[in-house]
Amino acid sequence: MKPPAFEYVAAESVEEATARLAEYGDDARPIAGGQSLVPMMNFRLVSPAVLVDIRRIAPPDAIGEADGHVRIGALTRHRALETSPLIRDRFPVLAAAMTHVAHLAIRNRGTIGGSLCHADPAAELPAMAVLLDARIHVARRNGERIVEAGAFFEGALWTALEDGEIVTRIDFPLLPPGTGWGFREFARRHGDFALAGAAATVTGSAGRAAEVRIALFGVGETPVRAAAAEALLTGTGFEPDAVAAAIDALRNAVDPDDDLHASADYRRHLAGILAGRALGDAWARAGGGAA
Amino acid sequence: MSAGAPAGAAGTARPGIVGARVQRREDPRLLTGRGSYTDDRKAAGAVHVAFCRSDRAHARIAGIDAAQARQAPGVLGVFTAEDIAAVARPIRATSNMPDYRATEFAPLARGKVRHVGEPVAAVVAGDRYLAEDAAALVAVDYDPLPDITDPEEALADRVLLHEDAGTNLIAAREFARGDVDGAMTGAALVVEDRFRIRRKTPAAIENRCYLAEYDAGRQALTLHGSTQVPGLLRDALAEIFDLPGHRLRVVAPDVGGGFGAKASLYPEEVVVCALAMRLGRPVKWTGDRMEDLTATSQAFDEIVRAKLALDADGRMVGLEADVIGDIGAYSIYPWTASLEPVQVVSFLPGPYRIAAYRGRVRAVATSKTPTGPYRGVGRPVSTFVMERLVDMAARRLALDPAEIRARNLVRDEEFPYKAGSGIVWDRAGFQDCLRMALDRFGYAERRAEQAAARGDGRSVGIGIASYAELTGIGSRISAAPGMPINTGTERATIEIDSTGAVTAAFGIASHGQGLETTLAQIVAEELGVRVEDVDIVHGDSAAVAHSTGTYASRSIVLAGGAATLSARSLREQVVKAASHILEAAETDIEMRDGVVSVAGTDASITLRELARAFYTEMRRIPKEARESLDLSASATYDPFFGTTTAATHIAEVEIDPQTFGVAVRRYVVAEDCGRVVNPMIVDGQVHGGVAQGIGAALLEEVVHDDSGQILTGSFVDYVVPSAAEIPDIEAVHLDTESPSTLGGYRGMGEGGTIGAPAAVANAVADALSGLDIQINELPVTPERLFRLIRNTEGNEGEPRHGF
Ligand SMILES: Cc1cc2nc3c(=O)[nH]c(=O)nc-3n(C[C@H](O)[C@H](O)[C@H](O)COP(=O)(O)OP(=O)(O)OC[C@H]3O[C@@H](n4cnc5c(N)ncnc54)[C@H](O)[C@@H]3O)c2cc1C
Repeated sequence: MKPPAFEYVAAESVEEATARLAEYGDDARPIAGGQSLVPMMNFRLVSPAVLVDIRRIAPPDAIGEADGHVRIGALTRHRALETSPLIRDRFPVLAAAMTHVAHLAIRNRGTIGGSLCHADPAAELPAMAVLLDARIHVARRNGERIVEAGAFFEGALWTALEDGEIVTRIDFPLLPPGTGWGFREFARRHGDFALAGAAATVTGSAGRAAEVRIALFGVGETPVRAAAAEALLTGTGFEPDAVAAAIDALRNAVDPDDDLHASADYRRHLAGILAGRALGDAWARAGGGAA
Repeated sequence: MSAGAPAGAAGTARPGIVGARVQRREDPRLLTGRGSYTDDRKAAGAVHVAFCRSDRAHARIAGIDAAQARQAPGVLGVFTAEDIAAVARPIRATSNMPDYRATEFAPLARGKVRHVGEPVAAVVAGDRYLAEDAAALVAVDYDPLPDITDPEEALADRVLLHEDAGTNLIAAREFARGDVDGAMTGAALVVEDRFRIRRKTPAAIENRCYLAEYDAGRQALTLHGSTQVPGLLRDALAEIFDLPGHRLRVVAPDVGGGFGAKASLYPEEVVVCALAMRLGRPVKWTGDRMEDLTATSQAFDEIVRAKLALDADGRMVGLEADVIGDIGAYSIYPWTASLEPVQVVSFLPGPYRIAAYRGRVRAVATSKTPTGPYRGVGRPVSTFVMERLVDMAARRLALDPAEIRARNLVRDEEFPYKAGSGIVWDRAGFQDCLRMALDRFGYAERRAEQAAARGDGRSVGIGIASYAELTGIGSRISAAPGMPINTGTERATIEIDSTGAVTAAFGIASHGQGLETTLAQIVAEELGVRVEDVDIVHGDSAAVAHSTGTYASRSIVLAGGAATLSARSLREQVVKAASHILEAAETDIEMRDGVVSVAGTDASITLRELARAFYTEMRRIPKEARESLDLSASATYDPFFGTTTAATHIAEVEIDPQTFGVAVRRYVVAEDCGRVVNPMIVDGQVHGGVAQGIGAALLEEVVHDDSGQILTGSFVDYVVPSAAEIPDIEAVHLDTESPSTLGGYRGMGEGGTIGAPAAVANAVADALSGLDIQINELPVTPERLFRLIRNTEGNEGEPRHGF
């Protein structure tokens, strides 16, 4: 469990990082917190010839609000997200999700950009990006683009990033006032990747759910929005039948894999249970649709 | 965390050192990162080994091409079976147990590989990075052989793992007493099931690590290693390399846990020694976690069919069991592969009075990592099986689980009691432990709370487990069946040097148990000095003439006994010397806190002054007297049979009726470990053991696929409990003295792991008692509960919410 030899370069700017990455091509990898990349290198699952360290790029005030978005620098640490007053205020669901990510030592180093780019199917941050319709800012040599979260995750450990591209910033559009939220996951141990998880937001209006979002993770190759279930609940007063129909729809929509820790059937079962709980929390926090 | 009663002190005039909550002297060093483990040891010119390990479960080696690896940067050599065989005799764990077949365990695979992770070639390079790079270049040409992964299928011998054994059945044994068949037919109730605890691995925090140094000038070999058994290794390596003991030394410096996994001889130990001699350079191998999870001995892999017969009053009348032990690929030295499965049948009757018993065991070789000793050996499984049967019976008879145990546990007046397997329980508080555990747990109250919780739709369960074990085993009983080595004695040498300092040397090897503290307490108390005056030397084969090490809950009984004997004879010497120096009768000499004095006078000298008088001021003691004195004493202690340790565990769990997550909410242990040397250390051992047992019950499982590939090759997939999964554990100690051991001590290092899987399994079963399901397989993961519950509901769809 020692990596093969590699070169290490530290970039001071986005320009330098993307230039270096372009120069070395697919032999190179950016490294941020190293919490996923280094274990993979030690297992020799990946063996980049060059590591381009991007940590020095981070602007100090990585979490800020502008133009109806909360903007988060890609190098923002998990722990900073977990404890940021702005995040707690604007996206309490995100702050809550962060407490489930690994352990404190790892949260002190792991970054949001790293988590999104690593794209573990059971990771919380990719699910948050999908739930909250995040917009992912990507830079490459001489260029930039924005990828919607819904299009960013292409498979397990697989994203829309091209060689030489790095994520620089993630923008989360603010939620309407009176939006309730719920976050539930089930892991075998505290801090483990979840066997399955669900997050929901509900925006209420006069006793009805004006907007419902549900994101599921750990139950497929990528985090997914449960579109059919969202549609079934929108406009309802979360009557038990409506919720049950939505849960059924959501269970039918997911396509989890069997693995060592859980069968596909059990994961599908969990997805329904956890989504039901997250929706219940969100509905209650939305004042039962009162707002 | 715990509220253990202060032991030992009550009733004696002077607070005893034995029995006091003395802080662990090893902690300041270990907790501030100043411990010194094998990997911390730097040897000038050391080179590093990486192993090329088998990625096949069962295959013939058609060829090994190491040419490319030899050319890789920094490589000093690539070595295979023949290189080792040229200098080392093969390892063969023998036993005089009938129906045991000894098989060879070659340090590097010879001709065949028999499990994934088996070392095939050793690559030596300037550092571990280069060695790993080169190991990846060793090309092994394998001819695949059919895999032997299912132990029941392996019994059919369609494919043989060890051709020279002629069968996969490596050991078989049967214990029988009384008319079992009659008991079964005549019984009011027979409960039976097929039980299984899945394969587990000890997972010590320090991976195995060895450093061999060969001094060509002295022709002497020193092995530093993460081992529990330096003396045992020294003796084994002396045979393997044909070296006398004074030119072969095995040292275990600080060792980060063992749990039995560091109590055997390993191929890597032989390889580093052989290569150090061959290369004339210090050779180090530092195992990584992947190697630990594939090539360190594993545990508990048995299928047990068992039935228990009871009369209408719930009294046990007969017990029968058939055990198949999946021992993995090799029979580990010196314990042999029969150790774990034979102990299951030996201990199955537990602490109960059962007239008729028949237990049969078959140990089967499979193409998996070898199994070996693991904390509790056999008893975690036997206790799980027996305690499940007891609860199943209680339920059928509508008896409270506490009541059925009270009716069947051997009572005080029945000791010594001989169990159906032949084990003799000398005397221990079987009934007292049950009573104390119920008391501390607040059993009646908790049952009422449980009923209320059920009313609210919550699934709360309470599980009891009682067990007994043999500890501190002496020379009369072999620690493993038929083993040709002696594990029944321990030796101590205590010396007062010319500065008056007391050094006590042992052959045991503390690796987390706090023996540097507890043995110092015993020596201090017996000798009459302060704890801090005593230094403990251990973990070094050069310390005493013969020893094995620390395993099998033996060290406080055996080394403690040796400490007591040698301290007493040293004290006599001190008294004699003092009587000359202080010119008083020996009967008037007292020694306390390191000061020697004459009773009723103010004449006294310190130990330092006494040592100076003895060693330096040659006129203080007459020559003749001096020559017959020695400020050093050695003694060997043999408890002969050993003694009984007993406990009752009670666990309370709550199960989420929808996700099937199990949380252990409350845990109480009442145990009889005899005279308690240090309640704080006993509590710590109980806590750690229970945590491991909870791991066995809920989380830990080594998983192989059908082709014998190990799927749990990292801590992502092999799931050990973390602090968050472990509740506060209360330990209560029954402070009695064992009648059979010097000092009254009983061993207690393993007990936590023995009781916990059973207690948690019973609690889970209790929580789900409204459903028609059997908890007969551990770990009882959420996935298993999901399948069990869905199956009882008789549909393929979603389990109904709640139960
Ligand atoms: C024991 C353990 C438990 C864990 N548990 C969880 C958990 O429960 N939930 C969870 O979500 N995560 C968990 N993680 C993963 C952790 O959250 C990682 O920190 C995170 O996935 C990666 O962030 P990083 O900054 O460390 O990225 P790195 O490890 O540095 O990089 C990860 C990948 O992303 C790429 N990368 C990094 N930054 C960028 C960027 N800005 N642009 C383009 N590519 C980039 C790297 O090249 C690499 O491929 C766990 C990790 C460990 C070790």
